[in-house]
Amino acid sequence: MKVTWVLPGGEDVVADVAAGLNLMEAAQNNNVAGIQGECGGSLSCATCHVHVAEDWRDKAGEKGEFEEAMLEMADGDVSDASRLSCQIVMSDDLDGIRLTVPT
Amino acid sequence: MTVWTPTDDGFADLSSHDTFMNGSPHNTFARLRRDDPISWTGWDGGEGFWNIVRHADITELNRNWQVMSSARGIRMEDQTYEEYLARRTFQETDPPEHMKTRMKVGKAFSRPVVADFEDQIRALCQPILDEALEMGTFDATKIIARKLPMMMLGQILGTPEEDLPWLVEKGDALIANTDPDFTDHVLDKMQTDEYRMMPFNSPAGAELFDYAKELLAKKNAAGDTSGVLHYILQPDKDGNVMPENEFRNFFCLLVAAGNDTTRYSIAAGLQAMCHQPELLGQMQEGGDVWATAPDEIIRWATPALYFRRTARCDHEIHGKTIREGDKVLYWWASANRDETMFENPNRVDLMRSPNRHMSFGQGGPHVCLGMHLARLEVRVLFEELVKRVKLIEPAGPHKFLRSNFVGGIKELPVTLQAK
Repeated sequence: MKVTWVLPGGEDVVADVAAGLNLMEAAQNNNVAGIQGECGGSLSCATCHVHVAEDWRDKAGEKGEFEEAMLEMADGDVSDASRLSCQIVMSDDLDGIRLTVPT
Repeated sequence: MTVWTPTDDGFADLSSHDTFMNGSPHNTFARLRRDDPISWTGWDGGEGFWNIVRHADITELNRNWQVMSSARGIRMEDQTYEEYLARRTFQETDPPEHMKTRMKVGKAFSRPVVADFEDQIRALCQPILDEALEMGTFDATKIIARKLPMMMLGQILGTPEEDLPWLVEKGDALIANTDPDFTDHVLDKMQTDEYRMMPFNSPAGAELFDYAKELLAKKNAAGDTSGVLHYILQPDKDGNVMPENEFRNFFCLLVAAGNDTTRYSIAAGLQAMCHQPELLGQMQEGGDVWATAPDEIIRWATPALYFRRTARCDHEIHGKTIREGDKVLYWWASANRDETMFENPNRVDLMRSPNRHMSFGQGGPHVCLGMHLARLEVRVLFEELVKRVKLIEPAGPHKFLRSNFVGGIKELPVTLQAK
């Protein structure tokens, strides 16, 4: 299944991602610049902030309470599109999802 | 010339603080990574413990906080339940409780907030470097590395400037509580349990405890809302305020952690520059190197040598069974030299990328709260240093702290030549 990250410079990183992997881990595996994921997905750092393209937001699911709070500490423009990518787990529904690394 | 060659025979006693007086026993860690990745150390100071030494194994366990709990203590020393309750900070909690504190204190240390301190840090560096360059030959830990984190901490905490040297002295006594150069109450040689309910089991903890309370009263009376203390004591959205006991322990943690770790990162970076002369030129070239250099210096330093977890249930790994209640040590110092993760792990490579070092405990819920500040301080200090010097060289042997918990060069004689 495909995931696309749009980097701040406009360049795309496209990678195959297996179901069950979260999108922070997927970004780390593909060395996507700007996604650190320093707490390993335990909602302690806010360094895997992405913007989810509008068409994909429903499928990506709702933000949790802790995620919402941690997003206040994130780098870059925090908006309705913002998610911590460690909280989005790859599934068939998300094949083709587009994420932007915020500036 | 290599930076520094470990001298241990490959079978060093990891429970002994004396072992670490010659630096981390990297020959021992290398052997364990190769032959005995899940090893047991018996100990006459308490229950023994498991050593986890491979990068991949620590990564796997560190994320598994459901099994490996922080809530029974984070150092190898045993604690009773009542000691734990009296002394704990959010370091000694697990999710979701840990996340609740994190949400409260995290913003003050988040990257966007910390980034605003850059100009202040740059300004703080100048008088420190002025003094160093004037002296020419000096102890770089004392004259450079110790000062910047202390001054920065004061600004962040909102403490009066005149209190800073006292705070640093107490912070040293807390964390380096096994080195007689820093405390009269050497933890593993203490004959009293008078301080066991105090932060870090230390009389300095008791003093900082009182200081935090007075400082807060003074600031409240004066309507002074500067610094993170004020921020941390704001009620959350449900109206809950951090209890006094927890606040005082948190304050001690900030003083101790805010001081020591950045200091020893800076010291290790300076030591590396002494022994790998090419680093100065690479830094002076500038540009991309500053995106990667701070993390490499912090990997090289690994000021927190290990953190402990406690198994909540039996857990199998590499054919060994860690039993419920066993203490498990994640040796960041070993993971950061793991040859399967880092090419030439015993060299400083300022351009190393990716650099999945674990100095901040990355990959788990307890990842360092101050990591963005630490990276910023390290970057700015070295940026400013290399603008002003044309040579840095050792001026004598350096000395390590007597501690198996904090890895640091406590004395680093160097000679600097101004441009």
